[in-house]
Amino acid sequence: MSELLVVEDLTVTFPTTRGPVDVVKDVSFTVGRDETVGIVGESGSGKSMTSLAIMGLLPRGATTRGSIRLDGTEVLGASARELRRLRGDRMSMIFQDPLSSLNPYYTVGLQIEELYRAHRGGSRAAAREVVTGALRQVGLPDPERRARHYPHQFSGGQRQRIMIAMALVCSPSLLIADEPTTALDVTVQAQILRLLADLRGQSGMGMVFITHDLAVISSIATRVLVMRRGEQVEYGTAEQVFAEPRHDYTRMLLDSIPRIDDPLDEVSA
Amino acid sequence: MTLLRAKDLTKRFVARGPLGAKAGFTAVDRVSFDVRLGETLAVVGESGSGKSTTARMIAKLLEPSEGTLEFEGEDVTHAKGAALARFRGNVQVVFQDPFSSLNPRHTVERILMAPLVYQGIAPNGGRRAHAKELMERVGLNPDHSLRYPAQFSGGQAQRIGIARALAVNPRLVICDEAVSALDVSVQAQVIELLRRLQRESGFSYVFIAHDLAVVRQIAQRVAVMSKGRIVELGTTGQVFDDPQDEYTRTLLAAIPRIDPEWERRRREKI
Repeated sequence: MSELLVVEDLTVTFPTTRGPVDVVKDVSFTVGRDETVGIVGESGSGKSMTSLAIMGLLPRGATTRGSIRLDGTEVLGASARELRRLRGDRMSMIFQDPLSSLNPYYTVGLQIEELYRAHRGGSRAAAREVVTGALRQVGLPDPERRARHYPHQFSGGQRQRIMIAMALVCSPSLLIADEPTTALDVTVQAQILRLLADLRGQSGMGMVFITHDLAVISSIATRVLVMRRGEQVEYGTAEQVFAEPRHDYTRMLLDSIPRIDDPLDEVSA
Repeated sequence: MTLLRAKDLTKRFVARGPLGAKAGFTAVDRVSFDVRLGETLAVVGESGSGKSTTARMIAKLLEPSEGTLEFEGEDVTHAKGAALARFRGNVQVVFQDPFSSLNPRHTVERILMAPLVYQGIAPNGGRRAHAKELMERVGLNPDHSLRYPAQFSGGQAQRIGIARALAVNPRLVICDEAVSALDVSVQAQVIELLRRLQRESGFSYVFIAHDLAVVRQIAQRVAVMSKGRIVELGTTGQVFDDPQDEYTRTLLAAIPRIDPEWERRRREKI
């Protein structure tokens, strides 16, 4: 499998009043074309900082070491202009809260259209057609009409579909999904997970899926990276990590998951 | 023995449109259930199912539009004054976000003493000592009683919220998504704590949650809510292993699971 994304010895450091703190320490992994790599960890594990580093979206003041290559292009240290060209085009990201990622004053159609034209140019009419197609692809009913609606007119699940449409409108080779289903109801989560898996399969792009939920990761990722306090504690195929975890922390995490079937010590009725 | 009885509890909200037109919305529609002494009854549902509105009505934080609420045989639906204070002495709530439900400017000691002051309870040894005992019961270091909520982690802060609920020695504790915001390893510890406290004191829980896997670890009976109504109510085993309602089946099927084969292999290794 040819590697799409190569992350090597990534370290992200923040200055604090008590000296520099490494929030990500020597993290290395690769994402192939046509696969999903899951990054799992609890709060403060550095999983989101890793994804922001890939997108070149780290907060001001952060310093980085190591290397992140997308299709051979070094992302770390790339100019703002170069990053702007990559983001939304060759790599895209979706977040936990779609409402805070969408501008409440513009129709969703216009927002996707703007992104598309910034990268691809062309006429408004042509872009509108692409937008309608993108919204149809994510399963939004009546896309021509719905493109003229504002973010607040959609449900949480629909908004996440819109974010996915926006992320994929330029057919990126890499999609980073940071807790995209965490805020959703479980039945809606199941739909969005299926949608992401289907779209990834159709387009052959690579996906990095970040979550705190091990069961979600196990259902979508082919390879899994477990992080804790900025460090990579385990990295392997999903089967390896879930069936034969090598690290105590991974075992502890897996033991902590409440079981829906086969409860280990079910309370007696 | 029935501790709390909700009968046909209904909550309608009235929204006013731009031209003054009224539009009614029924958040909870004729919900009935009993809570028995010493049991844990879970109320599960997705957003908008009415589970939190139900929780707030049985906690008497919200007046029902219709229906009645009985506690130990007494009608408390419209309880006020002394009757309401008595109810609060028996029924306490643990909320989802400990940081927004604990006063950031009060020390833990003051937070834990407040319910006693409100109820006019003077325990043997004094309220300060009682606050320290409570901290120990929930696994917090009593030497930290003069710290402020912000000085604790999320899991520790939720333990303070639990300790506050237990301060008046209640007979019923309502947990409204009490473990939803916690990391999975912390969540497992807090669930274990909730179970231990119940074993020690014998009170009942009404456990409101959207996470069915968590519910399975703690409840003996489960009520499933959808669109303001209870669609299924039964023992945990019945509801999870032999769900009767179509919505319950959809909900259970949607839960992401780790491949059972992987799980089996992992357990064998240990």
